[in-house]
Amino acid sequence: MLLHERSTTAGAILGVVAIVFLVGQQLAIMFGLFTLMSAVVDNSGADIWVVSKNVENTASVSSLPSRYVDRLAGMEAIEWAEPVIYSGGQLRLPNGTFQPVQVIGVTRPELHGGPWRFASGGNDVLLEYDGATVDKFDLEDLGSPELGRIVEVNSRRIRIAGYTEGSRAFGAPLLFTNATKAREVTGLPADRCSNILIRLKPGANVRQALVDIEVLLPKASALTSQELARNTIIYNLTSTGIGSSFGLSTLVGILVGVVIITLTMYTNVLNRQRDFAVLRALGARRRDVFAIIVYQALTIGLIGLLIGFFLLAGFLFGVKGSRLPANLPLWLPPAHALLTFLLCFAGSALALRRALKIEPASAFR
Amino acid sequence: MYAPVLQLDGVVRDFSDGRVVRRVLKETNLDILPGELTALAGPSGSGKTTLLTIMGLVLRPSAGRIVVAGRDAAGLSEDELATLRMEKYGFVFQQAALVPALSALDNVLVATAIQGARIKPETRKRALEVLDKLGMKEYADARPQQLSGGQQQRVGIARALVGDPVLLLCDEPTSALDVESSHLVLDTLKRLSRDPRRAVVLVTHDPRVFPYADRLIKMEDGAIVYDTRTASAGGI
Repeated sequence: MLLHERSTTAGAILGVVAIVFLVGQQLAIMFGLFTLMSAVVDNSGADIWVVSKNVENTASVSSLPSRYVDRLAGMEAIEWAEPVIYSGGQLRLPNGTFQPVQVIGVTRPELHGGPWRFASGGNDVLLEYDGATVDKFDLEDLGSPELGRIVEVNSRRIRIAGYTEGSRAFGAPLLFTNATKAREVTGLPADRCSNILIRLKPGANVRQALVDIEVLLPKASALTSQELARNTIIYNLTSTGIGSSFGLSTLVGILVGVVIITLTMYTNVLNRQRDFAVLRALGARRRDVFAIIVYQALTIGLIGLLIGFFLLAGFLFGVKGSRLPANLPLWLPPAHALLTFLLCFAGSALALRRALKIEPASAFR
Repeated sequence: MYAPVLQLDGVVRDFSDGRVVRRVLKETNLDILPGELTALAGPSGSGKTTLLTIMGLVLRPSAGRIVVAGRDAAGLSEDELATLRMEKYGFVFQQAALVPALSALDNVLVATAIQGARIKPETRKRALEVLDKLGMKEYADARPQQLSGGQQQRVGIARALVGDPVLLLCDEPTSALDVESSHLVLDTLKRLSRDPRRAVVLVTHDPRVFPYADRLIKMEDGAIVYDTRTASAGGI
C-alpha cells in the first residue's frame, strides 16, 4: 500500500527514467568509444605489442628497426612475430579536398593485425599489390569510393579492393593495406616498422616473455595487448577531453534524476503529512513509516528502471549498425540498476527525514 | 460497576517555546468507564484536544499516570505505546482522514497491517463485517473521494473498530458533516458505546452531540470544570 499521489509518483518515476536512460545512453556511447579506441589492439590477434621505448599507446608514433622481427621470431616462447605499419595519411577526395586516414599496413601472407570483419571480400584483397580496405561506415567521409576505385593517399595510388564492416577505430577512418603498399604510401623505409605484433606459444609465461623481450631489445618496450588497449583508452580520455565531457554529462544525468526524485518524494511526504500522522496515531512505529518510504522508493525505482531500460534497449537497437558507437558491457546493466536504486534511496532521504519527524499528535490538529 | 478502561491520575501537560512554560492541561484525574459515551466539550483552546491526545497515548503527559485496560503506560517506549494504541484504541478523526489512494476496505484494513502484519482472510472478512454493520459494505471498493462526508466518516469509524478496541476516541467527528450525516454517525457511535467492553470518548463543540452523551465533561482553560452523567445534557 502506498501513500502516494499519482502526479508526484509519476514525477518520481520520471526522475528514475531520466537517470536510467540518460546515464545509460551516455555510458553506452562512452563504452562504444572505448571499444573503438582499443579496437585495433583488441582485434590484432597478438598477445604482446612491441613498440618504441616509452611509447605507451597506439596514438603515439612508434618506429622500430625491422630486424627486431627476426630476433623476436627466434625466441623460444614466441609462435609468430610480425611487423605492422601504423601511420597517418591524407586521402584525396573527388572534390579535391583531403580526408585524414589511419593507414595500417600488415605483412603478407599472414596479414596479422589486419581487418577483422568484412562487408565484402576478405583478407585476400590485401595480398594484392595495391589492394586496400575501408569501412562501409566511413564511405561517405571518404567520398563514397566504389570497389575497384583507385584513390590517392599521400599522392600515392591505392585501390579500394574491399569493404570492412565495423573494423573501425577512434579518430580518422582506418585504411588497411599490405605493409609494402603502406611503406610506399607513408614513406617509411623498408628497414623500419611501427610496431611488432607477437603471439606466444600456448602455455608460455606472458610476464616472463615481456621481460625477455625487453632484455633482448633494450631500446624497445613490450606491452600486453590488454595493457596497450587500456593505455590507449586512458590517453584518449585524458588528452581529448572525452573523459571529462562524458563524465560531466553522466553526472548531470544523475543529478537531474536525483533532484527530480528528491523533490517529488519530498513533496509527496509534505502533501501526505496528515496521512502519516494518522498512521502513526493508529499504531505505526517510526520503522513502519521508514518501511513505507523505502517500499515507495523501491517501487518507484523498479518501475522507472523497467521503463528506462526499455527506452535504453530501444536506443541501443536504434543505433545498432549505425556510425554511433554504443556498447553496454554485460556487467553494466546490473551495476546501473544498483546505482539507480541507491539514488532512489538517496532521493528519498529528505522525504524520509521529514516523514520520521511527523508526530502522531498532529493528526488531531 | 465495570473497571475503568482508562485512568488518568494527576495528569498535567506543559508546553514550552524555549522561554516560557505554559500549562495547557492542569492536573486532571479521570476514569473512563466502558459502556459509556463520554462527550468532552469546551471552547477552542480549552485543552480538550490535548486531553484527548494524552488519553490516546499520542502525547506524553508532563506528569501523572495513565493506565489503559489495567496496563500502566508510564515508562513504555515509543514503539510499545504505538503497539498499545494499535491493540487497545480506535481513533476517529475530523473529516475521516482516509488515505485517498486506498479503497474503503483497504482504508479499514490499513489499521490491521500498520505494523507490517500480513492481512489474513479472516481479517478481511471482519473488515467487511464492520463495514456491513455501518451500512458501508456496498462501498467497500469505492475510493474516499467517491464517498460523501458522512460515508467517509463511517469508513473512518469502521477503521477504528476493526481491531475491536476497548477505547474509541473521536476528534470532532461531526464537525464537517451535515445534520443528517451527523445524526447517522452519532447513532452509530452511541450504538457502539453500548458494548460493555468498550468506552467511547468524543471531543466536540457541536451541541448536536450532547443528547447522545451518557457523560458530559466540560473543559475551560486547561481544566475540567464540569463532569456529570446524564441522559440529556443539552443545557450544558
